[in-house]
Amino acid sequence: MSAQSSESIEPNLTPMLDLVFQLITFFMLVTNFKGASMDQSLKLPVLGSARPLDWKGKLEPLMINLGSDGKVRSEGTGHEIEPFIKREARFVKLQLQAAGTEFKEGGELPVPVIVRADKNVKFATLNQVIRTCQDVGYRQFSLSAMTREP
Amino acid sequence: MHRRHRKKKKSANVELNLAAMLDMAFQMLAFFVLTFKTAPVEGQLSMHLPPPVAVTQEPQKVDPNNAGQGDGPQPSDENTLNLFVTANDRGDADVVKMGARPISKGALNKVLLARINEELKVVFNGAQLPFDRIQLSVDARLRYDELMKLVDLCTKQKLPDGKLLQRISFIEMPEGAAP
Repeated sequence: MSAQSSESIEPNLTPMLDLVFQLITFFMLVTNFKGASMDQSLKLPVLGSARPLDWKGKLEPLMINLGSDGKVRSEGTGHEIEPFIKREARFVKLQLQAAGTEFKEGGELPVPVIVRADKNVKFATLNQVIRTCQDVGYRQFSLSAMTREP
Repeated sequence: MHRRHRKKKKSANVELNLAAMLDMAFQMLAFFVLTFKTAPVEGQLSMHLPPPVAVTQEPQKVDPNNAGQGDGPQPSDENTLNLFVTANDRGDADVVKMGARPISKGALNKVLLARINEELKVVFNGAQLPFDRIQLSVDARLRYDELMKLVDLCTKQKLPDGKLLQRISFIEMPEGAAP
């Protein structure tokens, strides 16, 4: 009896560890860290013909989350359209400079702009975003929409 | 003696303590489960939009509020199909005109969108009409989702060479301005 009680009982943890590692692998593969730059509170319009953007450039596209209040949303706060876009364009120009690419005034920035606008945004606001982007050198635009009802 | 010692070493049962590794694995699992978000089913309509260029060969002035494309023929060019969209105070589309002819009246529903699509198909399938771009003159009040419904229809149109229409430009009309 005393011999039995002194025996240490250890569960075999190997299968549990295998399972946990498989779950970790699954979540690592399906986690989308890019989604952090998207404001999920925006209600995008639904458009069946919209296709995912196939961008293979070195620089990241400029993501503009445009709320129905006419402000650009970034990191949880609202920004005025013009200062935000001009600041982002300055960063891109600095990045180009650092990479040894010369940018001439009036030239084209080799970065697309992804406009994620709330479906209630007025055309005047969208047009202001596009014009401001054009003024600082952006030429490629992508208008975002959901491909099906969420 | 030496041999006996070796034998003892071989028979020793080495067991790793997996509890610590399991703890760490559970922490990682918790992190990924908590930060997990399903990828949004989002798509884009891509367009190339250079800034507007002043038109010299046409009498019509280019609106400085124009966010249209400047490549190739300019908006008043004969290759451009002009669509005018007015909106009501709620931001819904009110009247859609193709040139001077109204083709839709009221908020854009499936029936009206099908009608506009048919009108566009007739225009773009006609071999005599050389349209290769659409210019949307849009009321400043029009909501983004109403605009996208029209842009969606436009990008579905096929040109005589079989390619899909890609050249779309926008012009902002003042609120309530009649085309």
